[in-house]
Amino acid sequence: MKILIVEDEKELLSNVNAYLSNGEIVCESASNFREAHDKLIAFVYDVVVLDIMLPDGSGLDLLGLIKEEQPDTGILIISAKNALDDKLEGLNLGADDYLTKPFHLSELNARLRAIYRRRKLQGKSVLTFEEIQVHIDNHEVSVNEVPIVLTVKEHELLVFFITNKNRVLNKQVIAEHLWGDNVDYLDSFDFVYQHIKNLRKKLVAAGGENYIQTIYGLGYKFSKNLS
Amino acid sequence: MKLISKALFWYFLLAAAVFGIGGGVTFVLVKEAVEQETDYELARNLRQIIRAIENGQPTELIENNHVKIYPLQQALEKENRFYSDTLVYHVRTERMENFRKLVAFRNVEDQPFKIEIIDIYFEQDDIIDVVSKILLRLFLIFSIVLLLGSFLISRFIFKPFEELLASIDRWNLKSNVPLEIPQTNTKELQKLNKFLKRMTDKARHDYQNLKEFTENASHEMQTPLAIAQGKLEILQEDASLTVEQMQLIQSALFSLDKLSKLGKALTLLTKIENLEFETSNNTNISDIARRISLQFSELAELKGLGLEKDIRSGVQLQIDPLLADIMITNLLKNALQHNIDEGRIEVLLDEHQLCVRNTGPEPSTPMHELFGRFKKSNGSNGTLGLGLAIVKKIADVHQMEVSYDFKAGLHEVSVKF
Repeated sequence: MKILIVEDEKELLSNVNAYLSNGEIVCESASNFREAHDKLIAFVYDVVVLDIMLPDGSGLDLLGLIKEEQPDTGILIISAKNALDDKLEGLNLGADDYLTKPFHLSELNARLRAIYRRRKLQGKSVLTFEEIQVHIDNHEVSVNEVPIVLTVKEHELLVFFITNKNRVLNKQVIAEHLWGDNVDYLDSFDFVYQHIKNLRKKLVAAGGENYIQTIYGLGYKFSKNLS
Repeated sequence: MKLISKALFWYFLLAAAVFGIGGGVTFVLVKEAVEQETDYELARNLRQIIRAIENGQPTELIENNHVKIYPLQQALEKENRFYSDTLVYHVRTERMENFRKLVAFRNVEDQPFKIEIIDIYFEQDDIIDVVSKILLRLFLIFSIVLLLGSFLISRFIFKPFEELLASIDRWNLKSNVPLEIPQTNTKELQKLNKFLKRMTDKARHDYQNLKEFTENASHEMQTPLAIAQGKLEILQEDASLTVEQMQLIQSALFSLDKLSKLGKALTLLTKIENLEFETSNNTNISDIARRISLQFSELAELKGLGLEKDIRSGVQLQIDPLLADIMITNLLKNALQHNIDEGRIEVLLDEHQLCVRNTGPEPSTPMHELFGRFKKSNGSNGTLGLGLAIVKKIADVHQMEVSYDFKAGLHEVSVKF
């Protein structure tokens, strides 16, 4: 997956770069309107991460350009504004998703991959992690090719885990991914714990390995090599 | 009491005093004049009597009710006369009246006489009567002129002042329109106008600055926060970290998250306060309440709470849908947070009110403080303490009334439309 990050704050660029860049994702960055404009004309990207407020122009104008030049490219808007107007305008102009600053990098990762799956794989993708298979389009999950039944939240949780595999995810991040801002910090522990417990139980009952590691006082990590 | 009424009241009081004293003075003066005139009349009478005696008229014929003539035996060493006041029975009024009496010792053609003449005063009661009548009439004329005059003058002189007051009444700090100052050539009013102009301009300027600062501060804050948060998240990826180190990062992340939410909540409060939201369109809040209740029913279940709802369909309110969403979300979030094991939440909505009830421990903060900013009950550390303040602010700008009550173990927050 090749992405372009358009963001005027260099440090934020380097954060996203450092977090996302691995074998699967190739990150390119542009720190102003002009640079972004040039890159969008010259290269093709799978997903563009777009900051609306740029020093020399509006990200919303770039959005129009992307729609014209690369209609298949997914667009994720990031903005410090949490005004609904910006969000609606962005989505009306054809952005796929919207994130407000500050965002969790794991959340950005999950959203990027969701856009990629929807756009490039037309939702027909299958997320695979060892013996677990998640069919994104029809919400089917199977362990060793035996289907199991998950609730909506458990499904979302599993997808979030697999897209952020081998990473420590704290409970607040997971809670926000599942419920947005509706959950209080103190409550998030219990809520997340209950879903994790159920998900783990269902995966193990179907003969899967327990990949969800609890890191005491911190959160969880979805990973193969149990240590 | 109006300024002009107050001034009039004191004018009348002073005028009454002046008229009172004036009445006394007039009475004394009139009395003196009457006395003088009576004495002069008595002296004239005396001269006529003496002339009559000189002309050889018998004293018996000269005497009457008012005149007594006593021939004296001894020769007079010195001619003399005395005036005095006396009470004499008056035939016509049938009572004792004040009379002036002149006693004169005179030699008329070598015959000494004692002559007594009395004359009635102009009666004291009559003087009082006349003086008070005059003064009362004067006072009446004075009052009418004063009332009419002050009414006309106040319309004329106080007009700029009244206009200024009306202008201040209309003025709104938030609207960012300068105070309208009426023109005047009165020195004091010019001074007041100048002062007011300076003060309101300063207030307006400060308010705008504060507003911009709040908006910018909480907005500009988000990018550095995002950077710091990202750095910590990358650091957390490091496999060589110990659990303790990761927990430190975790705490830092939590604080950053809280700071960011705080900024956003304060921006929201400022925006609501500055009326940056549409209030003209009708919003079906029944649908919003249903949707949010559904979102929260899962969370309530996870927490072992029962969520009951009684939401009437088709309730419309003139409110921005985003604000309605925020208000209901905050109320439910609040009910979820401050609950007890095996507790319950009730959501009621009809045409008149939205009411959210929840079981929970008795609040430690006084009831009326719960809607203040950063007021937290029972030491809840995970929350910002702005949720209910936002609800209150939204209600305020939409002329709704928020109230809180705690009875029989149930917290109740209701918003009356």
